[in-house]
Amino acid sequence: MQYALVTGGSRGIGRAVSVALAKQGYNIIINYRSNKAEADHTLELVRQAGTDGELLPFDVADAQQATAAIEQWQDAHKGEYISVVVNNAGIRKDNIMALMPPEDWSSVISITLNGFFNVTQPLLKDMTRKKFGRIINMVSLSGLKGLPGQTNYSASKGGLIAATKALAQEVARKNITVNAVAPGFIRTDMTEDLDEEAIKATIPARRYGEPEEVAELIAFLASDKAGYITGEVININGGLYS
Amino acid sequence: MTHTEVTEKLSDVLATEFEVDRSAITPDAPLMQTLDLDSLDLVDVVVIVEQNFGITIRQEDFVGRNTFADFSDLIYSKINESK
Ligand SMILES: NC(=O)c1ccc[n+]([C@@H]2O[C@H](COP(=O)([O-])OP(=O)(O)OC[C@H]3O[C@@H](n4cnc5c(N)ncnc54)[C@H](OP(=O)(O)O)[C@@H]3O)[C@@H](O)[C@H]2O)c1
Repeated sequence: MQYALVTGGSRGIGRAVSVALAKQGYNIIINYRSNKAEADHTLELVRQAGTDGELLPFDVADAQQATAAIEQWQDAHKGEYISVVVNNAGIRKDNIMALMPPEDWSSVISITLNGFFNVTQPLLKDMTRKKFGRIINMVSLSGLKGLPGQTNYSASKGGLIAATKALAQEVARKNITVNAVAPGFIRTDMTEDLDEEAIKATIPARRYGEPEEVAELIAFLASDKAGYITGEVININGGLYS
Repeated sequence: MTHTEVTEKLSDVLATEFEVDRSAITPDAPLMQTLDLDSLDLVDVVVIVEQNFGITIRQEDFVGRNTFADFSDLIYSKINESK
């Protein structure tokens, strides 16, 4: 059995990724922070897609919680390992920097950047041992271009892009790929409070992307076929930025 | 496991795993050079040792350890620690 861990799998893009990977035959480990009802719904969709899954709630920003949860999973699954991890958990706390509370700077950075480390680090030895792994990091247009009102978010995603490139070089010889996916505007809870009409006018494709479209890209990167793509940042933004 | 047994097993495992002549592995030989490893391969040594000896190795354990003897000392003390 092959296992994929999707952080922030309870809603939005993470849910669509869980379903897409389930269709590819993976058992899905659905991480989330607090929204059990939504996570249960993702699990149901995973089962409908024909495989199985389980919930693994923890706060990715909390190193101790993350390590404990992952080690517990590993202890319960001797001889098996998590071959795909999608670091998708993320939040937005937008504000112009002059008015940004320090805690909004730190929380965004720690969920995205420390979360990546906390979740991925405990998986690397197994991937090395088995000589196969896929690490996919959810970044953003914001981390490439920088967006006003998002210094915290842009910094966290930009940092994650750099970490993606560095780690890719460390582990490439082990048949482990590390890539980042950078969506533009995707229809989820995260973008619900934005002025869709105004934003659509700025997107060449004139529409938001759907979570399923991002999920298809991730499913490809997770597959055997994508073995020679590593250290890349792949845009998926309707032509908004390239 | 005695210290000698640890040394023997470590030498056997590393020689097989990294495809070097068993006779090249002597206590005073430098581990990384003998096995033709660079710093990125260090994780392989850790993984192999952990798997074969049932111990956990951390980054700080490597400080100042260069030769095969240094590594078998480390493993020997770890095995006894975990008892
Ligand atoms: N939507 C977009 O337009 C867009 C664009 C570019 C990049 N992205 C990135 O795509 C990823 C997913 O975004 P989305 O739009 O799907 O967001 P979303 O609908 O708001 O969902 C966020 C997910 O992350 C989880 N989460 C948040 N903080 C967490 C923590 N500390 N520990 C564990 N899980 C945590 C949430 O769990 P709970 O349900 O328990 O809260 C939820 O499953 C994020 O990294 C985001 O930055 C999104």
